Amino acid sequence: MDYAIETFKLTKIFGDWWGRDKVLAVDGLDLQVRYNEIFGLLGPNGSGKTTVLKMLLGLLYPSRGRAVVLGGNGSDPKINSRIGFMPEESYLYRYLNARETLDFYGMLFGLPARVRRTRIEDLLEMVGLRAVANRPVGTYSKGMARRIGLAQALINDPELLILDEPTTGLDPIGTRQIKDLLVELAARGKTILLCSHLLADVEDVCGRIAILYGGRVQTAGQVKTLLRQSDKRQITTGQISDNALERIKGIVKAENSYCEVTTPMDKLESFFVKTVAEAQRQAKPTSGAVSTTRIGDFLMGRERAEGILDRLVSAPVEAGTPVQKRRDSEERAAKTPRRREGDRRLLEKLSRGPSRLKSPDVQRKKVEQAGKDSQEDRVRKDVLRDLTDGGGSTASKGDAGDGQGDRGA
Amino acid sequence: MKIAALFIVLTVVLLPTLGFSTTGDGTIKGIVQSFVSYAFSLASVLLCLLTLVVSVYSVTSDLEQKRLYTVLTKPVGRYKLLVGKLFGVLLLSGFLLLFFSASIYAIASYLPRYHGTGTAEREQLADEFFTARRSLRPAEPDVRDEVQRLYRKRIETGQVPSEARHGGRARDAYMQGLAELAASWKRAVVPGKELVWEFEDVRPSDPNGSLFIRFKYDVSANPPDLQIAGRWFAGDNRVYAADAGGAVYTFERRDLIRTFHEVKIPADAAADDGFLAVGFYNDPRLNEATVIFPPGEGLEILYKAGSFTGNFARAVAVVFCRLVFLACLGVFAASFLSFPVAILLCLLVYVTGTVSGFCLESFDFLGEAAGGFYHWTVRPLILLLPAFDKFNPTKFLLNARLLGWPLLARIAGVMVCLKGALLLLAGLFIFGCREIARVIV
Repeated sequence: MDYAIETFKLTKIFGDWWGRDKVLAVDGLDLQVRYNEIFGLLGPNGSGKTTVLKMLLGLLYPSRGRAVVLGGNGSDPKINSRIGFMPEESYLYRYLNARETLDFYGMLFGLPARVRRTRIEDLLEMVGLRAVANRPVGTYSKGMARRIGLAQALINDPELLILDEPTTGLDPIGTRQIKDLLVELAARGKTILLCSHLLADVEDVCGRIAILYGGRVQTAGQVKTLLRQSDKRQITTGQISDNALERIKGIVKAENSYCEVTTPMDKLESFFVKTVAEAQRQAKPTSGAVSTTRIGDFLMGRERAEGILDRLVSAPVEAGTPVQKRRDSEERAAKTPRRREGDRRLLEKLSRGPSRLKSPDVQRKKVEQAGKDSQEDRVRKDVLRDLTDGGGSTASKGDAGDGQGDRGA
Repeated sequence: MKIAALFIVLTVVLLPTLGFSTTGDGTIKGIVQSFVSYAFSLASVLLCLLTLVVSVYSVTSDLEQKRLYTVLTKPVGRYKLLVGKLFGVLLLSGFLLLFFSASIYAIASYLPRYHGTGTAEREQLADEFFTARRSLRPAEPDVRDEVQRLYRKRIETGQVPSEARHGGRARDAYMQGLAELAASWKRAVVPGKELVWEFEDVRPSDPNGSLFIRFKYDVSANPPDLQIAGRWFAGDNRVYAADAGGAVYTFERRDLIRTFHEVKIPADAAADDGFLAVGFYNDPRLNEATVIFPPGEGLEILYKAGSFTGNFARAVAVVFCRLVFLACLGVFAASFLSFPVAILLCLLVYVTGTVSGFCLESFDFLGEAAGGFYHWTVRPLILLLPAFDKFNPTKFLLNARLLGWPLLARIAGVMVCLKGALLLLAGLFIFGCREIARVIV
C-alpha cells in the first residue's frame, strides 16, 4: 500500500558542541500515515513529536533511517509545494500585516496574483481576521497569530497538512473551527498529520493515532479500537420515571453486573460556543478574531457562492460536536438540518408561486388591485426577508421577484 | 530597521554641518578638499557598517526567530533565500549611497559660492580639484648594477654584517637597503647639478589647457628658512635650442621643503608625440643643501583627462564595490554563525581591510618562520582579505587624480567578482548543507 508518509527506523540524536551524542529524541520510528486520513501523533512534552515533523520536512536531518513524504523527500520543492505546514509557534514577520503575510507565502508557492487575492480573502474570512487584516501581525495575540499560521498552511490548498499543536493558544470557538475544518478537509481527500498533547481535541478528529514516549511509539492504532472499553456498556435514555429506572437496575443486577446512573453534562466547549454565538448575533463589538463557520471555497473545491439561490441553500452548519459530525459524515447527504429543510420548503413555495397565479380568481384580484401587492407577493417578500436576514441586500431582489412571479404565469 | 534610520539621520545631520563648518587651510581649495575628504569617508564608513549589520541581521534574525521554518518548508531553494537577502541589502545600501553621494556633490559644488570665492580662486579650484587628472610618474631608475658594485665594495671593506653575507631574509633586506640608497642618489641633486626626467605618452585632452608639475623636496640638511630655490624647465628638450624655438618653459621659484607643490604650465609643453622633459637645477648661489626628490611622490606630471563628475561617479562605484563585498561577507558569516559572532568576524575583516598593507607585511614577516605551511594555507586566506586602503577613492578625489575605467574594472573584478563571489558561494554551500532547526544540547 502507498502511504502519504512513511518512515523507516527514523532516528534523531542531538549532540553537543563537540559532536558527542547527548539526547536521543527519536528512536527507530516506523510510522505509516495513509492517504485521506487524519493521523494523530501524540505524546507528552519532549517525546519527539516536533522532531519527527522537522525531519519529515527537511529542517532536521535524521541520524539514522529515512522518511518518505508523498513519495519523495520532504525538502524537495516538488514535494513541499503540495504540503501545508503549521509549526508549533507562528513564526511570522512582525512588520507585515495579515494580507501581506499571506501574500508573501502565496508568492513563495508561485500562485498567480488573482488566485492569491481570492484565497487570501477567503482565508481571512475563514480564520476570522478580516477585520484586523491591516494590522501588523506583531500586534496580534497568540491565538490570532496561530490563526494566521493556519491560514498560511492552507494558502496552497495542500494535499498533505502537517500541523504541530494546531489548537494551542486558540479559544474554544477557534478550536472547534479547526476541528470542523480538519474533518471537512479529510472528507475532501486531504491527508492530515496532527501533533498534539491536547488529547480531547485529537480524540474528536483523528481516525488513527500513535503515542510517542522517549522517541518511541508506545502504541498505535484506530482511536475507536484503542479507546473502546469492551468490558462495559453505556445506555443513554430520555426522561424516564423512577420506576422504569429501578426496573433497569434490577435487570442489570440480575446479570450480576453493576449499574451506575448519572445525569449527563453538557460539554463546556459547547456551552462556550453557544454563549459567544449569541453575543455575535447581538453584534457586540470586539477587536479580536471574529469566528465564522465558513470554510474557504478553494478548500472545498467550489467556486465562490453568488446569487440569491446559492445563499438560500447554503445555510450555516448547525452547532454540534465534531464527534457527531464525524459519525454522521457519511449520512450528511441524507440528513437535512431543520433550518435547511425549512429553507427548502420556502424555496418550493416560491417556485410554486406562479402556478397559483393561474387561478382566475387570483388573476382577477391582481387586475383589480393593480399597483398594490397581492397576498402571495407579500408572503414572498416576507419569506425572502426572513431568509436573507443578515445575508445581505436581497430585499430589493425579493421585490423584483414579484414581477418575475407574474411573468412566470 | 531602526538602525538604518539612525544611520540616515546621522549622515543627514552631519553632512551639511561638516560642509559649512570645515575650514581646511583657509583657502577655498582646502575647505572643499577637507569637506569632501571627511564627508566621503564618513558616508563610506557608515554605509559599510550599515551593510554589515543589515546583511548579518537579516539572515541571523530569521534563523534565531525561526521564521525560516515557515519559509523553507515552502518550495523555495535555500540559495534563493540568501541571494534574495543579498539583493535586498544591496538595494538599500545602493540607494543610501546614491543619496549621500548626491548630497556631498551638491554641497561641494555649492561651497565656492557660499564662501564668495573670487574668479582666480575658482579657476584654481577648477584646475586642481573639480577635474580629473591623469598622473605620470618617472620610472624607477635601474640600480641593479650599482647595488652589485656597492655590495662587492662593502664586502671587500668588511662593512657587510655576517648574517647578510649568506642567503635569506637578512641578505635580502641588506640588498634592499643598498638599492634604496642607490636610487636615492639617482634622485638627489647636489648644488650646481641638474636632474632631468623624461616622460612619454603625455596627452592632455585639451592642447590649449594646462599641465601640472607636482613635486616635493627633501633635503640633506634643513635650510634656515626651510625653503629651496629651484630653477625648472619643462618641454621638449629634444628640439630645444636658443634659435630653434619650441615650447620649452622655464620658471624659478622658492618652495617649502617636505610639502607638495603644484606648478601650472601650458599643455603645449608636451610634444605632439607625447614626449615631455622636466628638469630641475639646484642653483649653488641660492642653495647649499642637496635636494632629494622622495621615491614615488617626489615628482609627477598631472594633466586633465576627464571631468570631476565622472571621477566622482567612479569613486562612488568603488565604494559600492566595497559594499557588495561586505554584503557577501555578511551573508557568508550569517550562514553558519550567530549574530554576535558573525558581526565580530565581519568587523575584524573590515578593519583589516582598511589597513591591509600593514597587515600583509606583518603576516608575511611572522609567516617566514612557518615556511611552506604559511604560504600554502594562511597566506591565501590573507590574500582574500579586502584591500580597502589600496583602492581608497577619497585619495583620488582629493588630488583630482583620474580614477579610470580600467582601474574601476580591476577593483570590481577583484573585490566583487572574485572575493565577493567566493564568499557568497561558500555561504550558499554552507547554508544549503546546514540543519536549519539544529539544537546543540
